[in-house]
Amino acid sequence: MSTSTPARGAWRLVAEREISTRVREKSFIIGVLVTVVLVAGAVVAASLLSGRASTSDIAVVGPEASAIVQTADGGAIATSDNTSFEAQEYNTADEAEAAVRDEKVDAALVPADDGGFRIIGLTEVDSTTEQALTAAVSETVLQANAAQLDVDLSELSAGTTATTSVLEPAPEDDGGRYAVATVMVILFLLTVMIFGLQIAQSVTQEKESRVVEILAAAVPIRALLWGKIAGNTALALGQVVLVVVAGVGAALAMGETDFLGDVGWSLVWFLVLFLLGFIAMATLWAVAGSLAARVQDINSTTLPIQGLLFVPYLAVFMGNDTMTEVFSMIPISATMVMPMRLATETVPVWQLGVAIGGTIIAAALLVKLGVRIYERSLLRTGNKLGYREALSLSAD
Amino acid sequence: MIDVSSLSRQFGDHLAVDDVSFQVRPGRMTGFVGANGAGKTTTMRMIMGVLAPSAGEVRWNGEPITPETRRTFGYMPEERGLYPRMRIREQLVYFARLHGFSRTDAASRADDLLEHFGIVDRADDLLDDLSLGNQQRIQIAAALIHRPAALVLDEPFSGLDPLAVDAMVDLLRREAKDLPLLFSSHQLDLVERLCDDLVILSGGRLVAYGPVEELRGQGADRYRVVMDGSDAAWLRDLRGIEVRDVDGSTALVDLDGLTPTELTRAAVERGPIVEVSRARQPLSEIFREVIR
Repeated sequence: MSTSTPARGAWRLVAEREISTRVREKSFIIGVLVTVVLVAGAVVAASLLSGRASTSDIAVVGPEASAIVQTADGGAIATSDNTSFEAQEYNTADEAEAAVRDEKVDAALVPADDGGFRIIGLTEVDSTTEQALTAAVSETVLQANAAQLDVDLSELSAGTTATTSVLEPAPEDDGGRYAVATVMVILFLLTVMIFGLQIAQSVTQEKESRVVEILAAAVPIRALLWGKIAGNTALALGQVVLVVVAGVGAALAMGETDFLGDVGWSLVWFLVLFLLGFIAMATLWAVAGSLAARVQDINSTTLPIQGLLFVPYLAVFMGNDTMTEVFSMIPISATMVMPMRLATETVPVWQLGVAIGGTIIAAALLVKLGVRIYERSLLRTGNKLGYREALSLSAD
Repeated sequence: MIDVSSLSRQFGDHLAVDDVSFQVRPGRMTGFVGANGAGKTTTMRMIMGVLAPSAGEVRWNGEPITPETRRTFGYMPEERGLYPRMRIREQLVYFARLHGFSRTDAASRADDLLEHFGIVDRADDLLDDLSLGNQQRIQIAAALIHRPAALVLDEPFSGLDPLAVDAMVDLLRREAKDLPLLFSSHQLDLVERLCDDLVILSGGRLVAYGPVEELRGQGADRYRVVMDGSDAAWLRDLRGIEVRDVDGSTALVDLDGLTPTELTRAAVERGPIVEVSRARQPLSEIFREVIR
């Protein structure tokens, strides 16, 4: 008589519905786009601000000064500061001085009366310009003098260099690393909050609209929960991957390959931890939704979860290094704190292992516990339930 | 056949359903009647497995019912439930697929039901944008979407206008001709018109159960006598009957020894008559009697 058999992969259908409903919402699309644009824009802006190429125009008098500016332009100081020097030729020192005064040039390099050179600035001489020109002057003149005296300059200067090395080098580009770390934390917090509330709401709405009774008669309740977790995790991970890709793409476009090499692994671990942490959190949000009788109740039933999210956040931003280390290994909080540490410091492998292992175990336990509560509370449509109350409910 | 066997359900100190047993037989519409709070919805939710019984069990074709079997049932809960912000066709397809239909089968089944209700042109509307009557139609369509093996419908006709009721009855007769079908209703005239079997609950207890005809037969042999103009009060003096009511030329009597033929003969001898007819006891009266 009946041609229907219960769907074995019902959770997949539930997940599919979660996704297809959500991606059709304008607010969702706009949210994703805004986040992507913000992150990509921030990367571009940061890159522009930190390493902006600049050009200094130097007024010169005489071919020698012109050659010195050229030397400075190719020198180490100019390269490290991403500055280039361009010589503007003038006939007399007075004309060069006038050009500085009229701000036609940034500085002037003129022969000094005592045979050396004089660097002229308006109110001051930019320190990079001063260093670069001074170095170039001494290099050029030394070479010229050495040639005149028939001395091999390289022989003369052999052994005069001193190199510096540090035992515990601070990572390069500290600011950039902290920025990446902060973005990761905020991205996790925001995504979990936004998607979490969405999960809780969709569960409560199903309760409120009573469609849950039909669903429960059609598929096992755990399939509903798994479908919700799977669908929303896919969405959230998709969004975060999109954001990371946008950020990395923007960085690549700006030529920040060195920096990406530094933080790349922390981004990968971030995605791994994000996936695990999100699954665990999604379960909690779904349970919170199942405890509420109406959408208004969600605020109070999700309060403990919000605490769970913000305690490590506050601990890290207000606490000390030890606290950060501890929170980077506590399950779920590790999702947020560990990638941050990975971006800014060298983390022992065992600590990363603890963070990932702990979060896997926590996610498994929470899903199990979540199914238990969810199955008991989902069909209680009368009024709001407490966590303890839900746990003590008999299986109906 | 759904076999409800000594089902009880306790909520705290309150015994909502108390040792209720009845059967829902295939091919027969079984009406489920009772005052508010009599335990109808609780019983139906236990049949559907949405609520666990405190005692007793539900059997399906002689075997204890399993969740897998229940999923082949069609269910319309008392509190209507569908996704308000989802397109109706998509919604029906979703429910069909949850029940294991392929995408194409689900789509053609959904279209078939929408067509029956004449709302194909609203297929892409959100449920919310439909009139209450149409929403109800979608609700019943959702219960029927997976070609269920049995139907449990809680108040399927409430809130429908007479035409909508007819359309739904047509659909149920077409779709559920050979299925066990249990439906609850407050509209006793409707139950009377549709049902083959009747289950009456009162205060959580089963107070009447059986084929409607039999239940009606349980009442006395009641006849209506209408005289042509003359007063019917003379019937009070006739032996072998008990007069329930006299109103001008019309009287309602219970036979108590007299046969219908003898009653008719006595009336004809008395004067011109309009009719002597069996007064079938309306369901509402049976209902009032058994729940008293």
